[in-house]
Parts: sequence; C-alpha cells; structure tokens
Amino acid sequence: MAAVSLRNVRKLYSNGYSAVKDFTLDIGDGEFVVFVGPSGCGKSTTLRMIAGLEDISGGTLEIGGRLVNHLPPKARDISMVFQNYALYPHMSVRQNLAFALKLAGLAKAEVARRVEDAATILQLEPLLERKPRELSGGQRQRVALGRALVREPKVFLMDEPLSNLDAKLRVEMRASISKLHRRIGVTTIYVTHDQVEAMTMGDRIVVMKDGEIQQVATPIELYERPLNKFVGAFMGSPAMSFLAARYERGGFAGSGFTLATGKPALDRLALTEGQDVWLGIRPESLRIASEGAGNLRGIADVVEPLGAETIIGVAIGADDRLVARIGGHLDLRAGTPIELSLDATKLHVFDRTSERNLGLDCR
Amino acid sequence: MTPTVHKASTTRSESPIGAVRMQVAWGARLFDLFNVTLLSLLCVITFYPFYYVLICALSDPQQLIAHRGLLLWPQGFSLDAFGRVFDNPIVRSGFLNTLIIVVGGTSLNLVLTCFGAYALSRRRLPCETALMIFIVFTLFFSAGLVPNYLLVRNLGLLDSRWAIVLPFAVSAWNLIILRAAFNAVPKDFEEAARVDGANDLAILWHIYVPMCMPSIAVVGLFYAVAHWNGYFYSMIYFSDRSLFPIQLVLREILISDNSDSMMVGEASSRAAIGNSIKYATVVVATLPILVLYPFLQRFFVKGMLLGGVKE
Amino acid sequence: MTMATPSRPDAAAPLALRARVCAELVRHRLVYLMLAPVVAYFLVFQYAPMIAAVIAFKDYNPAVGIAASPWVGFDWFRQFFDGLFFNRLIWNTLLINLYDLAFGFPAPIVLALLMNELTSQRFKRFVQTLTYLPHFISVVVIAGMMLDFLVRDGVVNDIIAAFGGRRESLLLNPDYFRRIFVGSEIWQSIGWGSIIYLASLAGINPSLYEAAKIDGANRWQQFLHITLPGLTPIIMTMLILRLGQLMTVGFEKILLLYNPVTYETADVISTYVYRRGILEANYSYAAAVGLFNSALALLLLFASNRLSRRLTGNSIW
Repeated sequence: MAAVSLRNVRKLYSNGYSAVKDFTLDIGDGEFVVFVGPSGCGKSTTLRMIAGLEDISGGTLEIGGRLVNHLPPKARDISMVFQNYALYPHMSVRQNLAFALKLAGLAKAEVARRVEDAATILQLEPLLERKPRELSGGQRQRVALGRALVREPKVFLMDEPLSNLDAKLRVEMRASISKLHRRIGVTTIYVTHDQVEAMTMGDRIVVMKDGEIQQVATPIELYERPLNKFVGAFMGSPAMSFLAARYERGGFAGSGFTLATGKPALDRLALTEGQDVWLGIRPESLRIASEGAGNLRGIADVVEPLGAETIIGVAIGADDRLVARIGGHLDLRAGTPIELSLDATKLHVFDRTSERNLGLDCR
Repeated sequence: MTPTVHKASTTRSESPIGAVRMQVAWGARLFDLFNVTLLSLLCVITFYPFYYVLICALSDPQQLIAHRGLLLWPQGFSLDAFGRVFDNPIVRSGFLNTLIIVVGGTSLNLVLTCFGAYALSRRRLPCETALMIFIVFTLFFSAGLVPNYLLVRNLGLLDSRWAIVLPFAVSAWNLIILRAAFNAVPKDFEEAARVDGANDLAILWHIYVPMCMPSIAVVGLFYAVAHWNGYFYSMIYFSDRSLFPIQLVLREILISDNSDSMMVGEASSRAAIGNSIKYATVVVATLPILVLYPFLQRFFVKGMLLGGVKE
Repeated sequence: MTMATPSRPDAAAPLALRARVCAELVRHRLVYLMLAPVVAYFLVFQYAPMIAAVIAFKDYNPAVGIAASPWVGFDWFRQFFDGLFFNRLIWNTLLINLYDLAFGFPAPIVLALLMNELTSQRFKRFVQTLTYLPHFISVVVIAGMMLDFLVRDGVVNDIIAAFGGRRESLLLNPDYFRRIFVGSEIWQSIGWGSIIYLASLAGINPSLYEAAKIDGANRWQQFLHITLPGLTPIIMTMLILRLGQLMTVGFEKILLLYNPVTYETADVISTYVYRRGILEANYSYAAAVGLFNSALALLLLFASNRLSRRLTGNSIW
C-alpha cells in the first residue's frame, strides 16, 4: 500500500516566511499526481517535505498508512529524481544505479538483477560503464530515473526533472515517463512549473500559489472548470484573457465594450445586479464574426500565423485585450478592425474581489 | 583600421603611422628584453645555491677546500661524503623518525581536517558560525611559546613523538580551505545520497572525499611538507637523540658543527671531510622534496589559490 | 503514533531547551561525533594554553602548579618594559618587519607583474616552477646554506673580493644582519608570494584591455588604469594581514642565524622569549613577554583592518 496522505502540512521558516500553508491532500496508490504552479508557490518545498529533505513545521504526513514526519529519507521508502539529476560524477552509470542498494546491504546478486532490469527498461545497457560526464542530457535523465527505479520504492518523487532538457527532448521524455508509470504503477508525485507537462502527464493536478492549494482536479476539469482566476489563467496556452466588466441589466459592460450573453448562459451563473466581475475568455472560444453579427469588437494589433492556426491579439476599447485562436491561416494585417463572436457557454465569470468562479457551485 | 588619420603627410612615402608603429615595437621590445633578463637573473639566483650545494657534495673534499673563486662544476668526483652520511646511525634514524612523523602526522591531520570541514560546512549545525569564529580566532591570537611548552610538558608528552603531532593536529587555515571546497559541491549530491540511504560518514566518504580530492591532496601536501621541514618543536621537546627527525640532525651537522662522529682520519683532512659531509647531508635531506616537487607543484598552486583567493 | 506538534518559537522553560539540545545532538549525532576531536584539539592545544598564559600574572612555581602559584599582577610586564633589552627588542622586531614590509611586500607583486608581461608561456611556467621551490625547503637547510655562503671564504665573499671589497664573516657583523635576513626571506618567498597576485591578474577581465587598446592606450597606460586598479583589492587585503604581523617574525630562521655577537640587531621578541623561557626556564617572565607580543599583534591587526576599511573600503571584516 503506497498511498500518500498529507493533512494540514505547513512549512514555516525561522525568519517567519511561510512557504507552505495548510496543505491537505490524499494521493491514491499508483496515482500520478502533479504539483504545478509558478516559482515560489511551495511545490518543491512540499515535495522535499515528503522526501524528508525539509522538516515539516506542522501537520501530518503518512506514506503507506505510516506516519513519517520524523523519519529520515532512507526510512520513508521513497526515491527521488532531482532537477539537476545529481548523478555521482566519479561513479560509472552502473555504480550510480547500485549505490543505494549497496548502502542498504542487498546481496550482490539482487543488486545486479535490479540494475540490469532498470537498465533494460530505460535502455541504458550500452551506457553502464560510462561516467556521467560522457552522457548527453537525455541519457543522464534516464540514469536518474533508473537510480530511482532500482530502489523499488513506495513513492517516486520527481522535482522538475525535465526543465534542463531542450524542448524536443522534453516532449520525448514526457512520453517515456508516462509509459514508465503505466508499466511500473508506482505512486508518483511530480513537480513542474510547466502546465503542459502537468496537463499531459497527471492523473490529477494540484495547482499551487503562494504556499496554498488553489485547486485539485483532473486535467480536463481544471481546464474547463477552474475554481478561480489564478487557475484559469495558469492552465492553458495561450492563456485565458480577462476583461474587467460589471453585470448590469442582464449583460456585461466593460470600459470599451458591452457583452450580451443571453439568458441560458446567465442561468448557470450566480450573479447580482451591479456586481463587478472578470470575464474569462479562452482563445479557442472566439470566432471571427461577419460585420454586425459578433458580440465583441476591437482592433487586431498582433497577428501570429502558426500554419495550422492563427493567434490574434485584439485590443478591445482602450484598456482591454483578448487573445483569439482561429483555425487555419488568416489573411489578416495587424491594425485592422475585427469582429469576434464568443460562445457564451464557454464564458468564465470570476468575481472581481474574491476571484472565484461564479459558474461553479460554491462550497 | 582605416588609415585615414594622417592626411597631411600622405606625400611622404612611409607615413608616420609606420614610424609610430616601429617606435612602439622598439620600446616594447626593449622592455621585453629587460624583463626576460631580470627574470633570468632571478632564476639563476634562485637556482645557484642548490646547484652549488650539489656540486660541492659531489666534489672531492680536498680539492673542494683548495678551490678558489666561483664554483661552477664539481672539483673531482667523490661519493665519499654521501657514504659517510648514510652510514651514520643518527642520520638513518633521523630519516626514519621524519618518515614516521610525516606519514602518521599527515594521516591524523587529514582525518581530523576532513571531519571538521564536513561538520562545519553547509550550515549543517546551528552553532556553525560560533564554531567558525572559535576556530578562526586561533589564527589571529595564540597564547605564546611558554604556555604551549608547559602544556606539552604537563601532559607528559616530552620525549614522545606525540609532542610534535598532537599540538599541530588541525590547522585552522587548512580547515578553511577544505571547508570552502566542501561548500562548493552542489547540494544535490548530498541530498541524493541521503535519499539513497547514506548516513553522514558514508556521505563524507563516498561523496565529498572523491569529489574534493584535489583540495584534499593539496591540504595533505601542505601538512606533509610542514612535518618534513619542522625542526624547532622537535628541538625543544626532544632530549632523546634517537627521536630526532632529520631536520634536527641536519641542524646539528650544519650549525652546531657537530659532525665529529662521522669523521675519521687525519686532522688536516678532517676539516675538508667535515665540509663535504655538510653538503652531502643537505642534499640527502632535501632530495625527497626536490624530486617530488616538479610533479606536485601544480597541486600546491591550486591549493594556494583556493585558500587565498577566497579572501 | 502521535500527532506531530507544530514547531514553536524558543520556549522559555530550561527543560525545553535541554530537550531541544538533546534532540539536536541525537539528530546530527554522527556530525557531532566527527566534530568532537576537532573541537577537543582546539580546546586543549589552543585555548587551554591561553588560560595557562595567566602565569604571566603570577610567579609560577612548577612544583605547586598554576592555581597555587601566587599573583604578582603586572610585575613581569613592568620588569620587561623597564628592562635593559626592551628597547632593543622592540626596535629590532619593528625594524626587521619594516625592512621586510618595504622590500619584501612589493617584491612578489613586482614579480607577478613582470611575469604577467612575459610573452612566452613556457618561460613563464619555467620561472614559476623554479621560484616556488625555495618556499618548500626547510629553514634549517636555508640557514645552513647561508652560513656556508656568508662565511669568510664563502661564495658571497668571493664575489665581494672579486669586486675589490674586503672579506669578512658577514654573519658576525650586526650591521648586516637585517639586510641578510630580509634578503633571505625575500629569496625564499618571492615566488610563492607571487601566486596570489598572478591569480588576481588572471582574473582581470581581458575585455578591459581590449577596450583600452581600441581607445588608444599604450602598455604603460593600460598598466596604470586597468592592471593596478584590478590588483588593489588583493594588495590591500594582503597588506592588512601583513601589518597585523608587524610584531611577529620568522624566528625559527633567526634562531639558526644569530649568535651573541649579533644580538643587538638580531634579537627579536620571539627569540628572547625562547631563551628566557625555554632555555632558562624563566616561565612566568617569558610568558608575560610572549603575551605582550600576541596582544600587540592582535591590536595591530584590528587597527590595520579598520584603517584599510576607512581608507580604501577593503577589509577582512
């Protein structure tokens, strides 16, 4: 049993800085959970607390049903992949893989078996006698994974393992890690700042900001039903656009526009007259409308043709901006006026002060 | 560079640029010549004393005494002095003693210094700053010769090899060098090792020692050289001649002119032989350093940089 | 299984403090185990003598021990200050140091600068290798060589005679002692001392020189405006350290080179302490003199550090 359970976990530094505040999460056995958030949100700190590399200031941490708050890393039966791999430079790949097993006093035969198995899974056989400095970035990454594998731990912890790789390699390795997880099935906690990695790899995603959990959900749920403005802005690329508006007389009015959405759309929103809101609009929920048929008007000041689609930056009035994603290639010059129609069912409305999503049941 | 500077003198075939260039070259070349000459002179001054001692040691004693003027090559050839030196039991025991002290002392030095550097690196301990001040202070202030002497005496270490090993077991300077080297190792390696299940000793032995080997080698060499060259403390702590390290034996021979035991023969040749014995002993005592030095020189420099530039 | 309690700020109760200290010791027990012999060394061989130095204020009688020996306050210090040799010792210690400072301090810097200007890397490495060597030779060998060279019919006198001078045993003439001693110190340390300056020179950004060349600066100007300012911090640091050692001298070498005839210029505080303390067993008195010396050195170090901080902004602390 390798479920991980965190209850009210906190990290308070001696200078008063609170890196993690009241973190509560249950991770099921075999689940692949991703902690995601901007720099300084506390995701790495939480991971390191789970690993035992940082003290837990408050709350409880259980691994496999056992309270582990005061146990050192080696007693927690976890293994970790570091951002900079931390491969011992003076040892060969084989020795790197075997190090922890030797320290644990495993029999030579068992050590050899596990090293060979990991090497087979990760295609490291030809590299076993080399030193880390003779390996490429992707190869080192695989060795780091192998080192975590051989210990056959209860939980894998990964701290931004792909950030040091170039874009193409990152895509390959993402797939490899996902495949590995499907094959081995060990509970994995993965930390990243890249929301694309989070979306593609996680069974569930934990979005963090300033030491607090913003939302825990599956990738699609995070995308389609963000709990607050931060989550809405963080997930998705290009990011969600926000227009400041006020709800009055059945429609939304901003400084340079008005938006009528129609009654069915408003029914699912808990709005009060005169309420100040943020309108959250995802780029793909906009279409180019013919003259007069759309509900938003502005000037297209940035046009980025990507071949399969075109990203358009639109200035609405004097203060607001929208990003629209239109399929195919558009023959559009920057600076031309443009009319957009918004699919009202895809509109997100966030309260201006609390930033909570008004379209979801508030608990 | 476009040569549009001296328009006025384009009538002259060789423009002043050429003349300036030549003048610059002349000044620079003169300086370079002067520089090389000066440095070569320094090299000669540095090298000649050793050379002199060597050729004197290899010369025939009588011819050497008789020689006048600048000595540039051996006068005759004789290994007699060397023979006498090696036959002298005090010289042999001197070497043995020095060897014991160098090997034993340096081992103790390295173990303790590594321990100390590890414990005081990486903000491991809450009292680290206080301990560093505690240690660094000893670089700036010491109690003086007499209290240290009395301490050694009261500990009953007189006439024991421990007297010149224990009081010098850890050099604050070398500890600082090693600590800086340990701190320079990226934190990730230690964390990975901890996750892999290593305790502090395992981390020191498997991670820090292999990764900081150059610094450890340098510190070891510093300690070893200090042990090899030491004479003063042996002088004040040892009265038993069988414990004398080689430098102390050397001192007797060179400075106290105490080479009587090695000389047999008529009075007139005594002086000559005594003279040659001195040279031979110097060569013998210094040879290990001279031989190892070219190979180890790079390490010394690196260590000096690690410790010094850290200022 | 207990619920972990959140950490609290320093509890006032001493019980909690003792518990925390124990917890810390257990948690890092291997580290403390490693630290123990090192701390023990410093306590026993560095700090215990400092406490024992209290004999400078007592009339130490080895038979009864330090604690039981009677107090005499500053008597020994007074005796030293009023003594015959006080002026001579202070003067010698100071003068030798000033000589060394005036000639021995700039020498490695000049050597580093000259070596830096060499065009041939091979020659530069050769000079380096050769000039580092004397630093590793024991002081006994050096003194032995000097004794041999400076004797009446030694090499140096041969050279003097060749230039028409008079032969004399140079180490028996007090007037020459300081020069000889400082000269030997320079000879031994000029190479090794230049390392740190060479390293600093190598650390100066080469783009600065290139920009200067484009701006039209000649070699001398580049030296004045780039090299020298680039070296100033390290020179100041080394100078502070050196000034802090103004009252200490490499006495091991002096001990081998001096003799009663040259005491008037060669005897320094440390050698005096050695004779009175070790040879004559005048423990309390010698301890007082030694303590005076150490305290003075510490004071000088503080003073020179503050001075440098005030004047140039560089300091060690």
